[in-house]
Amino acid sequence: MTRTFSAIRRTLLASLSLAMLLVAPPSVAKDEFHLYNWNNYIAPETIKRFEDFCQCDVVQTYYSSNEELLAKIAAGAKGYDMYVPTSNAVDALIKGKKLMPLDHSKLPNLKNIDPRYLNPYFDPGNKYSVPYAMSTTIIGYNDVKMKELGLPTDTWAVIFEPKYLEKVKGRVTVLDDENELFGAALKYLGYSVNDTDDKHWKAAQAVINKAKPYWAAFNASSYIKELTVGNIWLVHGYSNDIFQANLDAQAAKRPFHIVQGMPEEGAVLAVDNMVIPKDAQRPDLALKFMNFMLEGKNSSELTNLIGSGNPNLEAVKYIKPEILKNPAIFPNKEVAAKLEQLRDLTVKQRRLRSRMWTEIKAGH
Amino acid sequence: MPSARVRPVGLWLAASFGYAFLYLPLAIVVVYSFNDSRLNAEWVGFTLAWYRTLFGDDAMIFAAGNSLAIATTASAVSTVLGTAAGVAMHRYPTKLLSFLVLAPIAIPEILMGVSLLIFFVLINFTLGLVSVALAHIAFCIGFVAIVVRARLAGMDESLTEAARDCGATPWNAFRYVTLPLIMPGVIAGALMAFTLSIDDFVITFFTAGAGTVTLPLQIYSMIKIAVTPEVNAVSSLLMLLTLALIIVASKVSPTILRSQEELAQ
Amino acid sequence: MLYLVVFFAIPSLIMVLASFRTPGEFGGLAPLYEEGRLDLNLDSYARFFEETIYARIFVKSVVYALVTTFCCLLLAYPLAALIARSSKRYRDLLLLLVILPFWSNFLIRIYAWMIILGPNAALARAVNGVLAWFGHEPVPLLFSAFAVLVCLVYVSLPFMVLPLYANLEKHDPALLEAAQDLGASAWQRFWRITFPLSLPGVYAGGALVFIPALGIFAIPDILGGPEDSLIGNVIKQQFLETRDWPFGSVLSIVLTVAALAIAGLAAWVARGNLATPSSARQARA
Repeated sequence: MTRTFSAIRRTLLASLSLAMLLVAPPSVAKDEFHLYNWNNYIAPETIKRFEDFCQCDVVQTYYSSNEELLAKIAAGAKGYDMYVPTSNAVDALIKGKKLMPLDHSKLPNLKNIDPRYLNPYFDPGNKYSVPYAMSTTIIGYNDVKMKELGLPTDTWAVIFEPKYLEKVKGRVTVLDDENELFGAALKYLGYSVNDTDDKHWKAAQAVINKAKPYWAAFNASSYIKELTVGNIWLVHGYSNDIFQANLDAQAAKRPFHIVQGMPEEGAVLAVDNMVIPKDAQRPDLALKFMNFMLEGKNSSELTNLIGSGNPNLEAVKYIKPEILKNPAIFPNKEVAAKLEQLRDLTVKQRRLRSRMWTEIKAGH
Repeated sequence: MPSARVRPVGLWLAASFGYAFLYLPLAIVVVYSFNDSRLNAEWVGFTLAWYRTLFGDDAMIFAAGNSLAIATTASAVSTVLGTAAGVAMHRYPTKLLSFLVLAPIAIPEILMGVSLLIFFVLINFTLGLVSVALAHIAFCIGFVAIVVRARLAGMDESLTEAARDCGATPWNAFRYVTLPLIMPGVIAGALMAFTLSIDDFVITFFTAGAGTVTLPLQIYSMIKIAVTPEVNAVSSLLMLLTLALIIVASKVSPTILRSQEELAQ
Repeated sequence: MLYLVVFFAIPSLIMVLASFRTPGEFGGLAPLYEEGRLDLNLDSYARFFEETIYARIFVKSVVYALVTTFCCLLLAYPLAALIARSSKRYRDLLLLLVILPFWSNFLIRIYAWMIILGPNAALARAVNGVLAWFGHEPVPLLFSAFAVLVCLVYVSLPFMVLPLYANLEKHDPALLEAAQDLGASAWQRFWRITFPLSLPGVYAGGALVFIPALGIFAIPDILGGPEDSLIGNVIKQQFLETRDWPFGSVLSIVLTVAALAIAGLAAWVARGNLATPSSARQARA
């Protein structure tokens, strides 16, 4: 039996030492820049070029939603030098005093940004944040199927009205995000996505409940896969995802295209921003990175990769023409006027919306 | 002496159905790792490209290595602690002890993750692989303890008593009599702990440090864009690797995996 | 034990305390001391009891967890029994084979199920073909309660097999042979000897399936239909989207207490039926 114990001890020691090896920092004398970003939200070439430029190592970790990021920060996690949250999350972070003010003298390339996206409501003067990339939440659809069924593709009605939904019953998904879905419903009813009137919310809830029986699922993760494969024909989704779905569908030689449809009532615009946490170890590297990403060429690489919207005027020169022409990614002035960014809600509002959302999802 | 075993056909059929249920999705996972498509949704064609991508993907391999290291450490430590807990629970069946051991598995993972994070921050503990391992150990102990206790329940105490009567110290009685008898339970617990740790996402997400990546973290962050067959490839390989490690370990210390009763025969 | 106290008791105390506090404006928790007064209150608890929707989802989750546990038991028992009765050489291999699939990543296993249950896959077409024969509308297998349950059973199976195996392994085959010699049928042998002896294993496996199944959220998120939200999803939502940690803590505490209570109840029932080898022999003497 001693053999058992010594064997156990041996395994324990072996694994502990293995773990220690992996925990011990690499003995390279390079600087490290810790970037906490969405996955696939920066082109690998860009990272490499930055590493050469700054003679440092970029260590990336990922999150897949603003909420995850906020939860981790709220609980006290540190060690990151930069995050890339969406505007409403930046709002929350600023209010929570978690961000470091930016030294604009180190950001000469800030002038490249389209003035429309500077001085946002949550950060006048861009004291804490700088725009990075954008996406809109719109309709994505299988063009062959929609033509067959004769459904409109430029209005939210196709997601909310039973008379259209009947034809695609069980083949529609909507985002599993209370703010996005309520936003879409409010837009459909003609209100602003940031409307906080209880009565309007109740109306939106009613619209959602009426349409719910026709929807296949509330899904924010695997809907793109299903759309590309042809199991789902119509989605409420993010423009980047839908762009990617089309690329995948073409690569798989499917007999249809996945098209982005911008509803005429307007939609939610999500601008992701670069921010520096108050306790960042290397704010100097972070500022360098920010300025680097504000250069036209570097900024354009992401757009070319995933079809994200770009607030950088200089980048336009480097973006592929077919992406520039896409109205869902680069909307014209008319449409742009109807796009709104989501705002953070107060605690009471969040609670009310959360309860309404739970009621919707519990099927009462 | 092992006597003739009863093997009704019905049992075989039912068990085969069970295995089929277990392996059908796995077969798809492995087969699709050769799928010539970015998505994990439909079969397009055969390719080895994903394995090639995997071998060039340092980040993924690093993550897989971390997961393996954490899982081995966590399961080893939690097996030892869990066995102790299981024995304790059996000997002193108080409500409080049961509660303390079982509660970590009852608490929703998000709560556990967030509160562990708050706790680590409170005591200024650097987040990293070690914090993740500690967190995993915390919730694996309960699983091991329950299995060990179940094995102990209804066990013939007379053997242990006889050992004591012959003059063995409590520790020796445990080591040479009880432990071999409960070994299948301990092994079962260790396997469960390993499984739990290697695939945990929620708790790992909250307790990981700024540069810490484990395989589930890496994969889940891909969930929005696409979980490419590279993930299938890394999973298939990880499974094979773990299986190989265990086979090697069992050849090296064959006594571990056998019950002492059999050896005595 | 010290380990557990440190790593479990303290964080849980933090969370219990959190349930009495008010949520911070932007997320997390509001400062504990507000103008020198301790800012604790029972608001969040009151909300839980006031708004019945949460209780209803909770009950639904309990039902799902119970169904999962029961199905796991049905599937796992033959597996565990087969492994327990096998000869030494095969036993370890079979055991490893049971757990091997679970070392692959959770997400792609779920994706594999999405492929199996997809509307164009063989299974769905077969089922709907049969339904069509009866004149019934096609039923979606994916994004439904059925998909959620199948996956719940799938991910929980090894946690039922392993404890059952650990218990069944020590059953003395001599008992069964004796019963056979005395004329008991296979079913009788199982129901009156094997099953009662295995109850501690059943209980252990049941606890290890039921309790985690109550809190799960990933499966309904990925494959559930529009109305398949479980309490785990609501809790996740409170911590992430709503950033109402006190309420999330309340829900979690209720969940934990209920889970442990149900487990405790089951244990109490099982103890009543527990048979040790000696008492089984006594009973048949």
